[in-house]
Amino acid sequence: MTALLRIFALMMKRQRRSMIVGAVLALAVLLAGIGLLSLSGWFITAAAAAGMAGIGIAFNVFGPSAGVRILALGRTAARYGERLASHDATLRVIATLRVELLGRLILAPFREQQKLRGAQALNQLTSDVEALDGIPLRLVLPVGAGTLALLVAFFALWGLVNFTVALIVAGGLLVGAAVISAIALRVAAAHSAREEEQAQAIRSGIVDMIRARIDLVVYGQMKAQTEALSGLIRDRHATRRKLDRIERRTGFALAALSALVTAGAIWAGATFAAGEMSTATAALGIFAALALFETVAPLRRTVAELGRMRLAARRIDARLQTPEPEAKPLPAQSAPSVETPLFSAKPGLMTAVIGPSGAGKSTLLQQIAGLLPSDDIMVNGAPVASYSEHDLREIVTFVPQRTALIDGTLRDNLLLAAPDASDADLTAVLEAMDLASVTADRGGLDMKTGIGGEALSGGQMRRVALARALLRHPQVLLLDEPTEGLDTPTALKVLSNIRAILPKAVIITASHRKVETDFADCIISLR
Amino acid sequence: MYVGFSVWKGRDPFAARDLHEIPLFTCNFLDMSLRMARRPKSSLDTLVAPVAPLLKQAAGLAVVGNLLWIAQGYVIARTIAGLLDAELAGIAPLTAAILFAVLGLIRAGLSYVGEGRAFEAADRLTRNLRTKLVTREAQAITLDYGAAGSIAALSGEKLDILQPYLTRFFPARARTMVVPIVILAIAFYYSWVVGLIFLITGPLIPVFMALVGKAAQSASEKQLDEVASMNDLLYDRLNALLDMRLLNAGERMQADFATRADSLRTRTMAVLRIAFLSSTLLELFSAIGIATIAVFLGFSLLGEISFGATGDPVTPFEVIFLLLLAPEFYQPLRDMSAAWHDRASAAALAKDFAKWDAAEVQPILGQGSTPLAGAMSLALSNVTINRGETRISYPDFGLTAGQSVALVGPSGVGKSTLLAAVAGLLEPSDGRITVHGLRLGDDTAKAWRERLGWMPQRPHFLGETLRRNVAFSDDDITEALRTAGVLEVVAALPEGDATVLGETGGGLSGGEARRITLARAIHARPALLLADEPTADLDAETAKIVTDGLLALQSRGTALLIATHDETLAARMDRVIRLEAA
Repeated sequence: MTALLRIFALMMKRQRRSMIVGAVLALAVLLAGIGLLSLSGWFITAAAAAGMAGIGIAFNVFGPSAGVRILALGRTAARYGERLASHDATLRVIATLRVELLGRLILAPFREQQKLRGAQALNQLTSDVEALDGIPLRLVLPVGAGTLALLVAFFALWGLVNFTVALIVAGGLLVGAAVISAIALRVAAAHSAREEEQAQAIRSGIVDMIRARIDLVVYGQMKAQTEALSGLIRDRHATRRKLDRIERRTGFALAALSALVTAGAIWAGATFAAGEMSTATAALGIFAALALFETVAPLRRTVAELGRMRLAARRIDARLQTPEPEAKPLPAQSAPSVETPLFSAKPGLMTAVIGPSGAGKSTLLQQIAGLLPSDDIMVNGAPVASYSEHDLREIVTFVPQRTALIDGTLRDNLLLAAPDASDADLTAVLEAMDLASVTADRGGLDMKTGIGGEALSGGQMRRVALARALLRHPQVLLLDEPTEGLDTPTALKVLSNIRAILPKAVIITASHRKVETDFADCIISLR
Repeated sequence: MYVGFSVWKGRDPFAARDLHEIPLFTCNFLDMSLRMARRPKSSLDTLVAPVAPLLKQAAGLAVVGNLLWIAQGYVIARTIAGLLDAELAGIAPLTAAILFAVLGLIRAGLSYVGEGRAFEAADRLTRNLRTKLVTREAQAITLDYGAAGSIAALSGEKLDILQPYLTRFFPARARTMVVPIVILAIAFYYSWVVGLIFLITGPLIPVFMALVGKAAQSASEKQLDEVASMNDLLYDRLNALLDMRLLNAGERMQADFATRADSLRTRTMAVLRIAFLSSTLLELFSAIGIATIAVFLGFSLLGEISFGATGDPVTPFEVIFLLLLAPEFYQPLRDMSAAWHDRASAAALAKDFAKWDAAEVQPILGQGSTPLAGAMSLALSNVTINRGETRISYPDFGLTAGQSVALVGPSGVGKSTLLAAVAGLLEPSDGRITVHGLRLGDDTAKAWRERLGWMPQRPHFLGETLRRNVAFSDDDITEALRTAGVLEVVAALPEGDATVLGETGGGLSGGEARRITLARAIHARPALLLADEPTADLDAETAKIVTDGLLALQSRGTALLIATHDETLAARMDRVIRLEAA
């Protein structure tokens, strides 16, 4: 519940004005609705009484009928304003939250990032974020406005009719609705959260199935995967059915409560009107009871959705709790260089770090790139940790073993590295990476790379990743097994062009191939 | 003008595809109904047809429940009127309260059951559509719909859009056809003026609704498109998250995404704005109608107006009764128009689903079940494959149990494409691939693949444990991991072989991830292993472990077909086939 409240507080902070406007108008809608029906009931009954008494001419029709008109139009206008204000504010907060979450994911700790599954992150940015819209729209605003309206109605009925009618009508609804929601919530919350989890598992499962389709088919696992997914779909729908039953039961209980409360008002009104109370006043109580159903009706949706909202709020709150990266001033720097306890790398030289799998080659490069913490690694004379993320990326470019391309054209992919580069620049690096001949008859820079770079072979993808790195003109270039998947002549061409394009850069590779170690100026062996 | 209602009973103007036709229908319904009879079924109608009987039940129950309100109003009116005039036969307070409560409970019960029917319809339909989607995606590759993100969105939040439509539209439509007419009859019975006011103000609502319907659907369609493309974009970028970070493109990516998120917000708001505006206007119409009736009845009661009653002058009972019924005259129409927006969204969804349904697919071979007998044999003759614009021709060769072949050649020459063809994933445009003496095609591919192992160049790990990724079951995988030289690596993982890896093997190095796919191939003990660059990303020492693992597999009788750049690996195969760039 705390996560839910924190998310709501955040929404309030970002859209305070609209949220307050929405809340005030939501209350106004309810009060106007109650006032409208009560006043109309009183007015028509009073008019009938006056007509029968023969004093119809003296009856003031203008005050009450003006009141009815104002309340009717006011309610309509307030409802429109409330919906617009609260939905607009909520959607705005949600749009900014999405962007913020993505920012957190981009800068998440490297270890976590490595393990992050795209489908799971997608769930967080779509389903979870969308579930949050219920917090203001279906929880706080309706429950808050409904409770306040019932309290106002209680005192108004006490003043205008009497305490008994106020207690039966407003008190009955308030207590009854609270009890019904509490009971329903206890059973519904778990189902609601489970349904959301199942829905997300289905989404991840479908993405998995589509992305690993070939593997699954070749291994004859597609049938099993499809059955597992169908099972998940069945389970989710079973949960939905349970949830729907609870929701409908809640709806039934609330409608029954309203019928009983109104019956109580009829009984009390009729009994009192036989005594000293005027019939019009008794009618006011009955009509108020009818109108007040509007204050509790939205609860059934709230009950059905609360579990889902809570789950989503907890996940998103956890993500938002990770501290934002601190802004750091650019540290004083010397000429391009990298110093580690094992070696110092100088500009214009290529250093190859070698060693068996697991010796820590990649870890060392990741530390120099600031992805993993280190205390004794210096870049350009300053500790890695003293740079801000942004500044470090401007100096150091790291091409890890596994790189990804985005779905788009080759140009789109290259422009990620250098948004201002001209087509000539892009063509030049493609040429240098021996890709120009590959792409020439496939549209050149307009060649589609496909989802996950599927239109390219592994070696071509590798060279596009290297081309991207070159476009950044880094002072320090870190390459983890740069020529993997390339035949020896291509590997040699690629390596020498990298040096030709970046003659003054510090280049460090993690290497096992002879072609790379032969090419390096110095070799550092990790054991 | 009001003739519309009586005709609605027989026909279904709301099923009309082009909503502009509805106002036309009020002036020339005969011509209209003729045209509608010939109108092709919309994709939404087709989608909903299987659950129509359930929806009818739900609609019927909603109508009965709604009519009970008339009885409840009668109880209230009689009670109050009785209090005003002692001569009138009122209802005793307790009797009135009990009557009202019982009617109210029956009404609540009816809506409980009716809503249950409508939910059942929605649930059954969406479940079937989801299953259909999963089943087809498993057997064919959808080409022109969208990527994994789009399809996941279609199966998830998009299909959920059907629910509000199915649960709200049909009950509202049935109530619209019955309740206003009953109330109209009661109104005319007591006061022709009140009846006339209903008659004039009522039809404004459906006419107006028809006008906004078209706008609502087009706004919904735009919103759905935005949802799909945002999902694809996000999924794509999320898989390249580290790349974005390392290229210092994170902020740009965020800014890009901010534009998309904002555009989705604008589109969603456009849908909502239409819905809010139309419901406000309808509320206004009904408020005006009720106010006019109230003023007329009020002055009648005070004796200032003496016309308008159908028989004797109006009595307090009639006035209170009519006023209680007045909002209920408009309510079904207003609910109907709200549900009309649900329908617009559902129609947009149906169109989207139909687009997926009609999308061109590339079927994966192997739905047939011709069994293959005897020892493994593979032969290629004159095989040519079209890949986009390029045609790749392959040399003829054969392979039998226990043999090994290396395919070498420059990057992009078509090595991976050939492996896919041999796996029966795509069909050669010319020539034939023969397996066990039969042509590899739809009828044989399934049985053929049961004998295959597969090491892809870029593995995608399922969101399950490493063990299940290797064995596709909870079988022990120690032996396979050891042969693949990856046992220690897995043991060092935080949760061992119960670790869930990232989609492309995050948590392991590229070489380690590759060896996991080798372990998978070893575990499957295939008759033929197809491997795409099995030693890429591996240092010489580990490459040797993998090569030894492959040869150990061969010595157990598995044939190997390996695409590679690695000359050391190629040299250890029985034969080397060199592919040349055309």
